[in-house]
Amino acid sequence: MKRGSVVWSWFWMILGIIYFFLPLVATFIFSLKAKLGVLSFLAYQQLFNDPDFIKGFSYSVMWGILTIIVGILIFFPTAYWVRMRLPQVRTAVEFVTMLPFVVPAIVFVFGLVRTFSHPPFLIVDSPALLVLAYVVLTMPYMYRSIDTGLRSIDVRTLTEAAQSLGAGWGTILFRVILPNIRVSIISGGFLGFAIVMGEYILAQYLAKPAFAPFLAYLIQQKAYEPAAATIVSIALTWACMGIIQLVGRGGSQPQIAGGH
Amino acid sequence: MTHLELSHISKQFGQTAVVQDFNLDVKTGEFVSFLGPSGCGKTTTLRMIAGFETPTTGKVMLGDADITDMAPNQRDVGMVFQAYALFPNMTVAQNIGFGMKIHKEPESAIKERVIEMLALIHLEQKGNSYPAQLSGGQQQRVALARALANRPKVLLLDEPLSALDAKIRVSLRAEIRAIQRKLGITAIYVTHDQEEALSISDRIVVMFDGRIEQVGTPFEIYNFPQTAFVASFVGTLNTTDAEVIDPVKKLIKIDGVQLETAEELQGRKKGDKIKIAIRPERLNFVSVEKKANVLDCTVENITFLGSVVRIQVKIGSNRFNMDTFNNPFLELPKIGAKEQVSCSREAVIILNS
Repeated sequence: MKRGSVVWSWFWMILGIIYFFLPLVATFIFSLKAKLGVLSFLAYQQLFNDPDFIKGFSYSVMWGILTIIVGILIFFPTAYWVRMRLPQVRTAVEFVTMLPFVVPAIVFVFGLVRTFSHPPFLIVDSPALLVLAYVVLTMPYMYRSIDTGLRSIDVRTLTEAAQSLGAGWGTILFRVILPNIRVSIISGGFLGFAIVMGEYILAQYLAKPAFAPFLAYLIQQKAYEPAAATIVSIALTWACMGIIQLVGRGGSQPQIAGGH
Repeated sequence: MTHLELSHISKQFGQTAVVQDFNLDVKTGEFVSFLGPSGCGKTTTLRMIAGFETPTTGKVMLGDADITDMAPNQRDVGMVFQAYALFPNMTVAQNIGFGMKIHKEPESAIKERVIEMLALIHLEQKGNSYPAQLSGGQQQRVALARALANRPKVLLLDEPLSALDAKIRVSLRAEIRAIQRKLGITAIYVTHDQEEALSISDRIVVMFDGRIEQVGTPFEIYNFPQTAFVASFVGTLNTTDAEVIDPVKKLIKIDGVQLETAEELQGRKKGDKIKIAIRPERLNFVSVEKKANVLDCTVENITFLGSVVRIQVKIGSNRFNMDTFNNPFLELPKIGAKEQVSCSREAVIILNS
């Protein structure tokens, strides 16, 4: 590579890093200025002592975990079945999984409210509606991650091998296929979790406690705590990404090629 | 005693008939190979025995049970796949014991069987390894042990050696045959490799275009091919058109030269056009004066193939190959030389069209 192009590569990379990290650093420094004249973690202390923060945060964690569980239970068998038995509907299914990208969340939530606020589907007050809405919202990430995982293994042959050994569908799905795509499932799960942690519109309009509506409320009321909460939220997302990386690295084993 | 019986099996995918009127009886402990080119229906037939495909018509009997519509996991059939299909998340021992665990056998019995199977495939030290830590040949041996651990009634092998290199293929096929003989298990083996089928099988089913072309022992298939396809697919063969001269005396002619065959020409009359075949190794240069089955030829090409030397000769308008064993003192003719070749009556095979 020419020396000039190396210099330019570094220039653009550093510019990108500055563009990305500068607001973060500024927010972080601002969050440390709660005490006049000194840098301190006072804003963080106040944040963690705020019962509403704990409540909103805990609820979001719970919504996130439930979303992952329900999402896996729906998307894993669906993706498996499409791959094994219904390859002809794959394009249609992929289109459906992309819909949350094209339907704005505000439109989605009003659709939910209108549909589920009168009989026979009067569940607008139920937390289940929020979880199911989150499942839909995280569908593009979770379905695609699972589908990518299924693509990376020989699903058909593994299924047939298990069948020939006497295994039924439950055993095949959860003891043969799922453990072999666990990295993809965990990746999709954590992406979904990160989205749920930062989601505002659904929680706000379905009137359920969550972290993002609390953050929005905090921004209107206080100066330094919202910055601290933002940093906490980003740190949590990064932790999720780190775990994905760690699990991903642990999941691969060396393949010995060749003969005997 | 018939163990596995396939009667009038056919399989249609849309408008395409993949298998047509397939009939076969397999005896207990027999090793039968399905041999044919890609797309001939051999794997589809095997998959119908395994239960992964349902026949469009016909019946599959295993012992006294009709298993035609039975689910694959109910059939008591072991299968070895071309791609090994070991479960990557399980150790070798867990893979081998998987079927027994599914059948809820006691832990002690599973452990004992796994040790027995590991000894059978000579991988005693690899019980705790993962499939990715084994070579291809080792993985396929584990797949074989896993398929056998459940004591299935029939062992199905779908091109199990195709993904391995040549040397491993030869040693592993001998190992598979030895294990099958030792356990006395009925086995169906799918391959497109004629050498593999000839070396390993009790009987071979040669298939083409969804149909059985010929069923026979390796000796019969090689020496007495009944159709032009079997003749061309199994081994190298010289085939040519001929004309019947005297069906009683079993005389025919090719390019005006008279030949005698040992095969019956019943049902044919003088002047009938037929197709004949002669194996390259059955042709020899005439060294002493012979009167029958002598053909004038011109040497066109000589190819050294290691243990064999292949000589291409032109007889009339036909080009024939003749094979002769290599030895350091072999005197080969010159290219372009006029020679005479001959063959025995038994070497002239009459093919069914």
